[in-house]
Amino acid sequence: MKNLKPFYLGLWCLLLMPLLLFSQGRTVTGNITDINGRPIAGATVSLKQLNQLTTSDASGRFTLSIPAGATSIMISSTGFKSKTVSVDAGAASVTVQLEEDVARLDEVVVTGLATSVKRKNLANAVASISAQQLTGVAPGQTLDGVLSGKIPGALINANSGAPGGGSSVKLRGVTSVYGNTQPLYVIDGVFIDNTATSGGLNAVTGAASGGAPTSNQDNPSSRISDIRPEDIENIEILKGASAASIYGSKASAGVIIITTQRGRQGKTSITVSQDLGQIRVRKLLGVRQFTAARAASLSSDSATSVALAKQFTDAQAAGHIYDYEKEVYGNKGFARNTVLSMSGGSDKTTFFFSAATKKEDGIVKNTGYKNTAFRLNVDHRLSDRIKIGVSTNYINSSADRGISGNDNSGVSLGIALASTPSFAQLHPDNQGNYPNNPFAASNPLQTIALMRNNESVNRFIGGANIEAVLQKSLQSTTKFVGRGGVDFYNLQTNVQFPGILQFQAVNKGTSIQGFTKNLSTNYIFSLVNSYTPSSALALTTSAGITQETGDYNNLLNVATQVIAGQSNVDQAGALTATQFRSKYQNNGIFAQEEATLLEGITLTAGVRFDRSSNNGNVAHYYAYPKAGVSWNLTQLGFGKNTFFNNFKLRAAYGEATNVPAYGSKFTSAVVSNIAGNPGSLINTQQGDPAIQPERQKELETGLDFSILKGRLGFELTYYYKKIDNFLMLSNLPASSGFSTKWLNAGDLRNQGVELGMNAKPIQTRNVTWNSSVNFWLNRSKVTRFIIPPIPQGSFGYVLGSFQVEQGKSATQIVGLNGAGVGVLGDAEPKFQMSTYNDITFFNKLSLRFLLHWKHGGDNINLTSLQNDFGGTSVDYDNVTNKQGLPDGVYRITQVGVNAEQFVKDAGYLRLREIGLYYSITKLPVSFIRGIRVGVSLNNYLTITKYKSYDPEVSNFGTGFSTGVDVDPYPATKRADFHISVDF
Amino acid sequence: MKRTMYFPATILLALACCMWSCKKDYGNLNSPTAEQFLNNASKSELNNLVSGTESGMRNNAALYLDDVGTIGREGYRFSGSEPRYVTDLLGANSGTLSSSNFYITTPWASHYRVIKNCNILIQSAANATTITDAEKKGYSGFAKTIKAYQLLLNLNLTDSNGIRIDVNDPDHLGPIVGYDAALTTIALLLDSAKTDLTGAAVSFPLAGFGSFSDAAGLVQFNRSLAARVAVYRQQWASALTYLNDSFFSLNGDFNTGVNHVFGTGSGDQLNPAFIPLNQAGEIRVAHPSYATDITPGDDRINKAPLRNATASLNGLSSNRDVWVYTSSTAPMPIIRNEELILIYAEAKIALNSFPDAIVALNVIRTKHNLPAYAGAVTQNALTTEMLNQRRYSLFYEGHRWVDMRRYNRLGELPIDRPGDDVWTMFPLPVTEN
Repeated sequence: MKNLKPFYLGLWCLLLMPLLLFSQGRTVTGNITDINGRPIAGATVSLKQLNQLTTSDASGRFTLSIPAGATSIMISSTGFKSKTVSVDAGAASVTVQLEEDVARLDEVVVTGLATSVKRKNLANAVASISAQQLTGVAPGQTLDGVLSGKIPGALINANSGAPGGGSSVKLRGVTSVYGNTQPLYVIDGVFIDNTATSGGLNAVTGAASGGAPTSNQDNPSSRISDIRPEDIENIEILKGASAASIYGSKASAGVIIITTQRGRQGKTSITVSQDLGQIRVRKLLGVRQFTAARAASLSSDSATSVALAKQFTDAQAAGHIYDYEKEVYGNKGFARNTVLSMSGGSDKTTFFFSAATKKEDGIVKNTGYKNTAFRLNVDHRLSDRIKIGVSTNYINSSADRGISGNDNSGVSLGIALASTPSFAQLHPDNQGNYPNNPFAASNPLQTIALMRNNESVNRFIGGANIEAVLQKSLQSTTKFVGRGGVDFYNLQTNVQFPGILQFQAVNKGTSIQGFTKNLSTNYIFSLVNSYTPSSALALTTSAGITQETGDYNNLLNVATQVIAGQSNVDQAGALTATQFRSKYQNNGIFAQEEATLLEGITLTAGVRFDRSSNNGNVAHYYAYPKAGVSWNLTQLGFGKNTFFNNFKLRAAYGEATNVPAYGSKFTSAVVSNIAGNPGSLINTQQGDPAIQPERQKELETGLDFSILKGRLGFELTYYYKKIDNFLMLSNLPASSGFSTKWLNAGDLRNQGVELGMNAKPIQTRNVTWNSSVNFWLNRSKVTRFIIPPIPQGSFGYVLGSFQVEQGKSATQIVGLNGAGVGVLGDAEPKFQMSTYNDITFFNKLSLRFLLHWKHGGDNINLTSLQNDFGGTSVDYDNVTNKQGLPDGVYRITQVGVNAEQFVKDAGYLRLREIGLYYSITKLPVSFIRGIRVGVSLNNYLTITKYKSYDPEVSNFGTGFSTGVDVDPYPATKRADFHISVDF
Repeated sequence: MKRTMYFPATILLALACCMWSCKKDYGNLNSPTAEQFLNNASKSELNNLVSGTESGMRNNAALYLDDVGTIGREGYRFSGSEPRYVTDLLGANSGTLSSSNFYITTPWASHYRVIKNCNILIQSAANATTITDAEKKGYSGFAKTIKAYQLLLNLNLTDSNGIRIDVNDPDHLGPIVGYDAALTTIALLLDSAKTDLTGAAVSFPLAGFGSFSDAAGLVQFNRSLAARVAVYRQQWASALTYLNDSFFSLNGDFNTGVNHVFGTGSGDQLNPAFIPLNQAGEIRVAHPSYATDITPGDDRINKAPLRNATASLNGLSSNRDVWVYTSSTAPMPIIRNEELILIYAEAKIALNSFPDAIVALNVIRTKHNLPAYAGAVTQNALTTEMLNQRRYSLFYEGHRWVDMRRYNRLGELPIDRPGDDVWTMFPLPVTEN
């Protein structure tokens, strides 16, 4: 680390540079509009090279003090091309028209921890999502849910349809097998904890054997879903190491940078919006139509068969044949969402405040989601040189998620329904007593009525940033930029299974209460120097230090033999407590240099050094270099006034890692007591005291151009991403006493292309049509693998399983193919495409829609298998197989012979979001400035061959093995009505 | 003015300097580590390992019973959520047992995990400086006995596919050893444990050992297991010798012995083999032949009482529940006197001491409300009788399949559906190859 000493010396030199002060000059006012004369609110007005700036108000007006010598101001706004306007000494007001920036060349993109560049000089393909795209079409329930289809290069998969979210986001292929595959979320500079905490359902479902109270099949929500999408101004996605490496050891799965709305100078504007909606199941599978003969065939015992046939005919005669699937999943959930936001401020202080509350019912009774949140963002200009900003966000969310997915006790709704025929009698009697379900271990109607699986969160996220100009001259500006914050939450999980439930015969009531406290903090302190010796050269130098800490504490109490009607864990005959804590501290040091030559060539180089308390060697600093070059030929004067309006070549390289999971260096002993004697039993995971982070190296190159006066823009990207020494929780020979051990087991690579097109096909005074089309695909390959391939993360070869294997795709699915074990599919889609369109008529009526096509990509569908086993599949009695057996019977005969029937193409074409909005701006009353009304639909149209509730599903949560489908909470669709009023 | 500007920069530099020195290592916040035990463990730490060992033996014990009980056609495990109990284990649809499936990988791993704990206990006791030599021998004698028992359970599953004996160093595992060699090693391990236990000081608490919790009792337990291993090895005379040193008592309580015990305490386990009567969905039912083959009057019919309604799954059905573990805290025998009496009979039959054998068989018959043995007095007939008594006396305690295999009589087990198979052994788990 000695090599950094000269760098600190340099920092001191920068500090000691003489400071230059300015005298105040005059005031300029102005009016900013688009080319159709509509005012542009929130545009940034700044003085070139100086730190003075302001923003335009809702009617596009601004006022700015400028020093005597200044002659030009620069105007920029998201979605428009920046413009430099000269203000002559005499002029006091200016009118500026901005052209729309279809290819978004002038959008400012964050590329360092404290620096940013314009898209036209960017060396990476950084995807960004505007507020309009995020929530302006058809808002969804949670943030993770509304990202789907909006990020080129991403594979986003909802784990289930359960209220409260929970999605897997994989950027540019799998980046890890057993490490973290989920991106880092940063909101206003605060690193957000996205730990999924299980509520301990495994204690009841036994989905994963071994008796642990939690498993990765407990279907918890993602903590990122706490964040309200309505507060978000913009999201930027750094998809791979080439862009994200400045985030070092947390960035290998990519970084999602979220910027929330800030206050705007001017008269306080108040917006109240109200959404009302209805949530329905997207699709039901249907149930088998029974006859007396079919009922009889449920048993092989002749006496029982006779009884079953009679049971059916009795039920039929009494009119007691039910569609339980529809009864359980077919409810309509009411959804409401109210948001109040305020924005305003003076030239010194601006603020943004929002208060929002939503409540949404699920399609299963007694499930639903609630979220109430407050946000206050304040920016204050302490002096001409010092600017501070504070972001605060309090969230209270509560999700009743029900019980779904895999289980081994017959208690989850889907598993119970799978073996319950339509002639079973499950309804309560007049006293409200539910009968036992003779066909399954639980009566799903009783389970729904009496159980509870709630996650409730109280969360505070607070961030602060300070920018202080330490030195300023006409050629050089040095700033101190400090950012940091805390993310604190208390999560309470509450799972109740009262003793009268059918399956509680042994435990006589189970109450599982979990208390989780998490505190994450982070800060970045940096110095940024911009040096512009001539108009042909601009240098931005930044350097600084970072720290991230985390402190997670989860206490889970499982009480059984619970006193009737009680839920407190002490009101019970037996209590088992588990506690899990983790703590880490990561430290980083970074330096980055960006050079822009002739406003057309941008060279970037940076390095970050990181150490982590989770690494085997806690003192060692790992280095993460990055470099990038972009060459904008148009800016350099090549091909001006030709077919191309803008033409850029770019390449970037970077490295990043994943910190090993907490505790992976220890061989620990778990508690295992007997008859009051405390016992220590060695864990099944062997520790690795020398564990290292897995390293990702990414090279990205691309070509961006726009034509037809910028109305058509293209972005073509190719990336090659190599993960060296990826960590495997490798399966050891169990005879060693250990089942798993972390091992740097091999290398894998992802390569892919992302093609993006932004277009404005129609632009007339009355109709404008904005369209973007994205196409992306990824291919992975395991290039080195030092241990024998073994099935991973599913249910073995018989039912189809993931398997990491040298020379094969990392996400291949293998299983029995009739002649042995072979490749049956791949979770990776062949390609994905999405298109977002916004068509506006007469500036008033907007039609917006998002269409998403995922071609290929296989799931392991075991939901149908469960229904076949229970003799309830809708197509059980069809005969389409060659053996002439009923299909249900035939499929069961294939179990153990062939797993092809489980590995199914989960491609789809989905109209994810469509919305129609009408704005009224001319109103008879003056205190109302505008009203917008709209209707929207989510997921209403899906074309897929996949035969289960939804092709988007993951029984195993967000890890490597997504796409395993075992009786999930069915996916939903929603219809909403929106109204919002601006005051 | 200037002061405000220098302030943040000064903080920045101060923090940067401080960062070099303050590296963090939080250690393991959640549990002790293997290294802690191996580095001069205290007596209470060693006792924790003993209890962890005894407790860990119960992990997946019910799955082991279902494996052996299903293939041995003692019963069916019907599960709405886990079809493989009635497909793979019974050989449905001409499928085969998979080397990657839970029915072999899970119990196999559980047993070796206990063995690992025993090995750490042996090593930790040897490294400990605060305990006496006699105490060290107590720990190692106990650990070796349990190790031998766990190895035997895995060998019961994989039979001539063998097991791995030398597993002390996870990075350099010994070879897979065939059936006969493995049994020999298990017998030697038990002998070595007995040597340790003789004259040892037992200063650790045990839960399921009852009056066999001291050194002398542990020797008796050890010799009972040795007798079981001896009949597996057809060393009949040795079996009788070992019985003499065990808690064998021809006229004693059948249930005297060592058990897995269960409780509702924190970190404890409930008996996983307990399922209440007349459940639906997740049930364990007796094979129909249990009732049809039983001699009328045999009180052991109570181990399979009639259900309210016949249970069916996948072409199988039964109207009787398995009712061996009758509460969630009922003990699960490791070895008990009833088995020792039958081992005595078995050895005597093999040694052609038929009158002694018949005496022992009649002890069993009489106590179960049956008349004295009146069948042919030939080795073959008595063997059949002995196996039949074992079937009913040790019902769902993990023996039938192993016994029928030892006598090459797996062909006598019933086949319920066309295409079903009676497996001879499980494949080795895929990770062992």
